[in-house]
Amino acid sequence: MKLGRTRLFASDRTVRSFVRQGLWRAIALALLWWILLEGDRKGWWYGLPVIAAATATSLWLAPEAGQFWHPVGLVRFISFFLWQSLRGGIDVALRAIDPRLPLHPQLIEYRLRVPVGPAQIVLMNTISLLPGTLSVALHPMLLQVHVLDGRMDVQRSLQQVEAVVAELFEIAIEQ
Amino acid sequence: MTIWDWLSTALLLIGAFFFFAGTLGLLRFPDVYNRLHALTKADNVGLGLTVLGLAIQSGSWVIALKLLLIWLLVLVTSATAAHLIANAALYDHVQRWRRS
Repeated sequence: MKLGRTRLFASDRTVRSFVRQGLWRAIALALLWWILLEGDRKGWWYGLPVIAAATATSLWLAPEAGQFWHPVGLVRFISFFLWQSLRGGIDVALRAIDPRLPLHPQLIEYRLRVPVGPAQIVLMNTISLLPGTLSVALHPMLLQVHVLDGRMDVQRSLQQVEAVVAELFEIAIEQ
Repeated sequence: MTIWDWLSTALLLIGAFFFFAGTLGLLRFPDVYNRLHALTKADNVGLGLTVLGLAIQSGSWVIALKLLLIWLLVLVTSATAAHLIANAALYDHVQRWRRS
């Protein structure tokens, strides 16, 4: 009897966190729907069933609770990303129009400090949009990066990106 | 033309320049790895500026948000696609160009 009650309590908590997850995802999807319809109110008649179905599918495919990004980390990440990707675009555009074609490509290896999981995926994709670096292969704690100009201090700028991503996921990494 | 129209036009023209430069890089760069750099980075900046210019033209917050959403989706897909192509090229032992 006692055992039964404890088990019931544990599943009760799981149900509650599941419902909370579903609620957050439904809110996010409703916002997405509102944006897609450009604020048109008539679309909600078929939008609501679509949102419900999408929420159910999302809970079915990824039932584990997602992690919220740290707000300060998110602001820092966005500002870092916007500035660096603009620099990356200008850098590669200038190399493309330069008649001498100033490329000194190299394939380098970078030791990762953030753990396997979403942080590594975000880091890998961010690196591909920053000046002169392209993520080629991800191994458990090692990233192979193609660089446009091997003479730049790539290791240092990669460490900078990793620190920004670690802050986003609230992960402590050794400096 | 108001100042906003001028700003929007300037953003669209600079955006078009980045698309041009990205395409030029795609044609001029010597191997698949270098070409991916040109495509992802230059086109993302080009699209970002285009989206910004169009958002100003739209004069509506929700349409501006929709354009921003499109840009974010393209960012994620182009970073992922670039990685997958580079990864496949590496495992297929596609030769990397070296400056001799």
